[in-house]
Amino acid sequence: MSKWFERDGRGTVGTSGMSLEARPLSGALGERDLVASCRTGDAEAFARLVQLHEAMVVNLAGRLLGNVEEARDVAQEVFLQVYKRLAAFEGRSSLKTWIYRIAVNQCHNRRRFWHRRRRDRETPLDEQLLARPLPGGGPSAAASPYDETLRLERARRVQAALLELCFEHRSVLVLREVEGLSCEEVAVALGVPEGTVKSRLSRAREAMRRKLAGLLDGGSPR
Amino acid sequence: MTCQLVQERLSEWLDGELAMGVSLAVSEHVAACTRCARHSQELRAVTGLLAELPRLESVDPGAGPLALRLELAGGNRRPGLALLFRSFVAGRPHILPSLLTAAAILLLAIGAILAFDTGPLPEVRTTATWATAPVSGTEGNPLFPSAEVMPQQRAALAPEALQKDGEDSVFLETVVARDGSVAGVTVLQGDANVEQALIDALRQQRFEPVRYRGRYVAVSVYRLISRMEVRSPRT
Repeated sequence: MSKWFERDGRGTVGTSGMSLEARPLSGALGERDLVASCRTGDAEAFARLVQLHEAMVVNLAGRLLGNVEEARDVAQEVFLQVYKRLAAFEGRSSLKTWIYRIAVNQCHNRRRFWHRRRRDRETPLDEQLLARPLPGGGPSAAASPYDETLRLERARRVQAALLELCFEHRSVLVLREVEGLSCEEVAVALGVPEGTVKSRLSRAREAMRRKLAGLLDGGSPR
Repeated sequence: MTCQLVQERLSEWLDGELAMGVSLAVSEHVAACTRCARHSQELRAVTGLLAELPRLESVDPGAGPLALRLELAGGNRRPGLALLFRSFVAGRPHILPSLLTAAAILLLAIGAILAFDTGPLPEVRTTATWATAPVSGTEGNPLFPSAEVMPQQRAALAPEALQKDGEDSVFLETVVARDGSVAGVTVLQGDANVEQALIDALRQQRFEPVRYRGRYVAVSVYRLISRMEVRSPRT
């Protein structure tokens, strides 16, 4: 495996400081080649595809489901679906957006699966994991313990508020704000018109503003 | 532009998604209105808080690469016949294979029924009267009792009936059981005075048991008894 594809913990790759987007592989041509290789049954190409998108899928699923273990489990389901359906990928959207769409659908299915079994209201034990920074990295690695504690508590409250939203609002907010997709990409990933994305985004932000009123006033987290 | 209208557009304004004119109007309002300015700052802070959320670890440090786990999880394997026989009450049943299984079982059941069926039952004439029916026990009328074993029965008629002369008629339904005995007699039409005596007499009758396809069956016999002579014992 090439060193190009070592993950640096923020969803980008590269040991020489270049972002993933700058690499030929992630461009339109590179993506097409990768998909074509995967279609021919190239196991190494598929491993590369998984490695490129695994972090974003786990992060998305974790934020949508509020449970890290569930997120990792869903990630496996997502890549199984990608593997099975890659032949049907027409390239009308980017591979990343397509995978996002599969991931959101899988999370939705998983949520309904637990909802039917009345287990969706259980409190996950890994709340701290959802707020935990990646080992050996992150922007706050050099912060003081007090600041770090405050930051983790803030993240915990934001995640808790996120989980109180309905799935539609949560998914649009995570894709837009956490994953940084454009409204157009979010629309493709969710399979809804762009106008719907904007209205959902507006309502979701408003709901978060009300839920996080204490934090936004400048008050320290409880 | 009112505060409400501005606040409805703040999200798109922050994203730079508004048209030039509308965006300018919102900017001017936000610059002049402290309430809307604070609202927009809070929305901006919300987006900042969400963007600050730490990225989650993609893999469990103790586990192998996801691609390897995918392979172990059966990514390349076909489910095979297990799909067909997955239980209906399984946690996540496959709906289509379950329906196929159910359809196959249904077809087998229908096939078994058709295989053992030897054809429709012949039509039973329930309205035929004794007078117009073909001779009993013949090929054209197999379901009629062939012969009465004890045809000579005497009816002990009621005194009122004995005083009466002339003709009379009674329409009866007699149910002949599988052993040839009379299971029941119902007077469908007739004189009430002679009913009970006739019924008692007819209940004593015995018929040749009726067989249909090798099995004894119960049949109903409709009889019109007419021109009954009523004589006084003195004469």
